[in-house]
Amino acid sequence: MPMYNLYMGCSVPANYPNYEAAVMKVGEALGMEFEYMTDVACCGSPNLRSIDYFGWLVVNGRTLAIAEKNGHDIVTPCNGCFGSLKDVQHHLKHDEKDRSRVNKELKKMGLEFRGTVKVRHVIEALYTDIGIEEIQRKITRPLDGVGISIHYGCHLLRPDDVTEFKPEMLDALVRATGAKVVEYPLWKQCCGATVLPVNEPLAIRLARDKIRSMKEAGAEFATVVCPACGNQLDLQQVGLKDSYGEVYDLPVLLYPQILALALGINEDAIGLRMNRVPADSILPHLKG
Amino acid sequence: MTEAKQIAGPPATLVEPIDMSQLDSNFRDEIRSMPNGEELAACFACSTCTAACPIANQWKYKPHQLIRMILLGMRSEVLNSKEIWECLTCFQCQERCPQKVRITDILFDCKNLAADEGKVPEKILALAKELIDKGQLYVVTADWEREDLGLQPAVPGLSTDGIKQILRETRTGKLAGGGT
Repeated sequence: MPMYNLYMGCSVPANYPNYEAAVMKVGEALGMEFEYMTDVACCGSPNLRSIDYFGWLVVNGRTLAIAEKNGHDIVTPCNGCFGSLKDVQHHLKHDEKDRSRVNKELKKMGLEFRGTVKVRHVIEALYTDIGIEEIQRKITRPLDGVGISIHYGCHLLRPDDVTEFKPEMLDALVRATGAKVVEYPLWKQCCGATVLPVNEPLAIRLARDKIRSMKEAGAEFATVVCPACGNQLDLQQVGLKDSYGEVYDLPVLLYPQILALALGINEDAIGLRMNRVPADSILPHLKG
Repeated sequence: MTEAKQIAGPPATLVEPIDMSQLDSNFRDEIRSMPNGEELAACFACSTCTAACPIANQWKYKPHQLIRMILLGMRSEVLNSKEIWECLTCFQCQERCPQKVRITDILFDCKNLAADEGKVPEKILALAKELIDKGQLYVVTADWEREDLGLQPAVPGLSTDGIKQILRETRTGKLAGGGT
């Protein structure tokens, strides 16, 4: 049974306990042993990287060094945390000067960064360690071919030499549940989350364009794998009625919620009612 | 000959001419010495980055222009621009650059230089204060929702002291005024 250091971050537990619950349930059903990391800090988000690069290196270098103590890979369900940890890992491995500067700070806490554990998104661990075949074998209530559009999230995909993630992995995982992947023109576009603090109307426009593009392509549902993207596409969608006079009614599910349903897990156990745009319309699409 | 005399003043140009005396020739080296700034000079201004950027249409300075401005030494214009802070950090420009210039990373470097001079947008500064005061960006408020789902009421394993201690000693501490 693969064991993982589970790094939850701060946004998922605070804003998306339904995501957290779905990850735990899916892990349980597929034999992934998630152990919450202890004494770890918030990653600081790209905002910390913008104003205090060195502080960002030390904060995330510390989390990486803590994981190295038991040697298990770090998995996280948040693209923001994934991007921060992965980028810091990449930088510290390639920049000796910064590595020794960071290690000087970590030494004061009795820690050392060596770069011996991998940082992975929960989705990639599902794809690589469990695999599509095994997932399909465990599915008891497959979806009926309903169309789902995927928003991968920028920091999951790019820069690809750092993230080492391929969009095809999530495509395959969505198809494994029996759903159809609906491609749409703006698939690469950002959800707008990062620009929220400095230009809110722009952030909302980006989210709206994205939702509209999915809807026009014929998607009945959308899926995301990040709490910040979830905020933009699900929560902001509710506000579009006032700001744009537009109603899309496009339910947005966190991918592990979809997988959990297909694995026969009850919708209450994964907090389906907490999704902002009502998402229970997915239930009639489950077979069996 | 009298006709020629009527053409007075500077010639008409498509863009504002650059005031050479205001250029800072060290700026490009400053950026090149920062994380992922090495490939800066490889830019040949093809503007593929601008074509890839989802919001360049509403920017005065487009991504390829910002890179050119760095190379020219327009330090003040770049570090005071709203563009560096509006960057979505979506990395689409960087992904497509045929010259492997790490544009998004370079804009992070620019923001760090601006922050070092105390130029940080108000709401970003508020986030820095949150990190120093609370040690996290989001705090659990609806613990009953977590309990309903069989999750621990507080964020499992999150330590807020470690990050507070670290950031008080780095630039965040200076920007946020040390915290409480």
